[in-house]
Amino acid sequence: MNSPRRTFVSSLLVSTLLAGCGGSVTLKAPTIPEPLLEQIEMSVGVRMPENFEHFVHEEEVYGQQSWSINLGRSNAALFEQLFAFMFSRVVILGPDDDPQLMPIDALIEPSIDAFEFSTPEQSNTEAFAVWIRYRLKVYDADGNMVSNWPVAAYGKSQTTTLGDSDALQRAAILAMRDAAALMIMKFDNVTRISSLAGGASQPPAPLLRRQQSSEAGAQATAPEGASND
Amino acid sequence: MISSATAIRIPLILAAAMLGSGCITSTVMDARTSNTGISADESIVIMAKSYHLGNETERKYIRCVEDKLGRGRDGLNVIPHDEFVDSLFPWFEPRTAPAETKNLARLMDRPGVAEAIAAQGVRYIVWLDGDTDRVAGGGSLSCAAGPGGGGCFGFAWWQKDADYDASIWDLRQLESSGTISADVSGTSFMPALVIPVPLIARTQARACKALARQLHQFIVQEETA
Repeated sequence: MNSPRRTFVSSLLVSTLLAGCGGSVTLKAPTIPEPLLEQIEMSVGVRMPENFEHFVHEEEVYGQQSWSINLGRSNAALFEQLFAFMFSRVVILGPDDDPQLMPIDALIEPSIDAFEFSTPEQSNTEAFAVWIRYRLKVYDADGNMVSNWPVAAYGKSQTTTLGDSDALQRAAILAMRDAAALMIMKFDNVTRISSLAGGASQPPAPLLRRQQSSEAGAQATAPEGASND
Repeated sequence: MISSATAIRIPLILAAAMLGSGCITSTVMDARTSNTGISADESIVIMAKSYHLGNETERKYIRCVEDKLGRGRDGLNVIPHDEFVDSLFPWFEPRTAPAETKNLARLMDRPGVAEAIAAQGVRYIVWLDGDTDRVAGGGSLSCAAGPGGGGCFGFAWWQKDADYDASIWDLRQLESSGTISADVSGTSFMPALVIPVPLIARTQARACKALARQLHQFIVQEETA
């Protein structure tokens, strides 16, 4: 083998090895299957935080490479699909929309408290794991917060011959599905959102005042999974 | 230049490696608790127990068992597990899937669940638990490369254990039909004299084949408990 050709092959090999160490993952928006559930007959507004449209998690794993995980608008897509399945009418509010001028029974504000992951090297397994902690704040038609629910979700996926990127993506998507499953199971038990049905304001008339229940106006913080179910 | 002692030793190592290659031991056992049997219009689903419970059954192992059970003239109707899980979302997710047969009746009462299962003709769910681990290894093998070429020299070995349990649930009777366990141990060798010669024991593949064969017999052959 002549020298230029050997140099080319060596360069190619080194490039390939370095590419294998790259820790950049871009997630495609997840698709939630149509769930088997009884839809809650009410109209809800959903106000997504700005970072749900372009969420990027960057982390330097101690002693290893840096990771950049671009969730894009995966979180927004997850909640749009989920709430459309769960409630009979969903209005996605823009940043400038006033929920009190909307004909909605309740307002839901999802947010993301934390995103964490572990690599196979860290866990001494052959799997990537992803933890996502969402927070769901529910407000009644008068704007009183009636629930503040932290939702912790977990996804785990084994490394494959297709590479670390695929495994990490799959773990993140499984964590989102896990969150969706938990919310479908426990949302109403924890937040009692269905009790707000019928409280919709009718614009442009003045806001209808709901009779204050003992719960209304009080912040109900329930731990994940706390229910009678 | 290779010394004469080394020249004698290398063929011996290679011969030992050859003789030991494919050194796999396997044990498959079943325990039946009720009658089984399956008709042509009924199907089966292979699932992994939840990773929320610490289970690490590999996806490729599940696919292997699905493939083996569905293959051939007497193959069973196997519903791919991803398709089944999606069709029953969210009731067979890792967090929500029933852990015991006593939860089945309640699950069937949920809206749409019994209908979705009936539409796919699912008679049995097989829950797999377990994984394949490297449990031991040794030897020494080193490789070097230079402008004039490269090569490897030495001898390495490793042992993998594949331990899997399958719990068979009958969705018609809403009870457990029994369990099957497959414990397979395999040792692989890699002697190298310039070129490494991998003599791989395909432990997981053997565990898949053994479990699938036993599972097929267990489900098809009707026995009295």
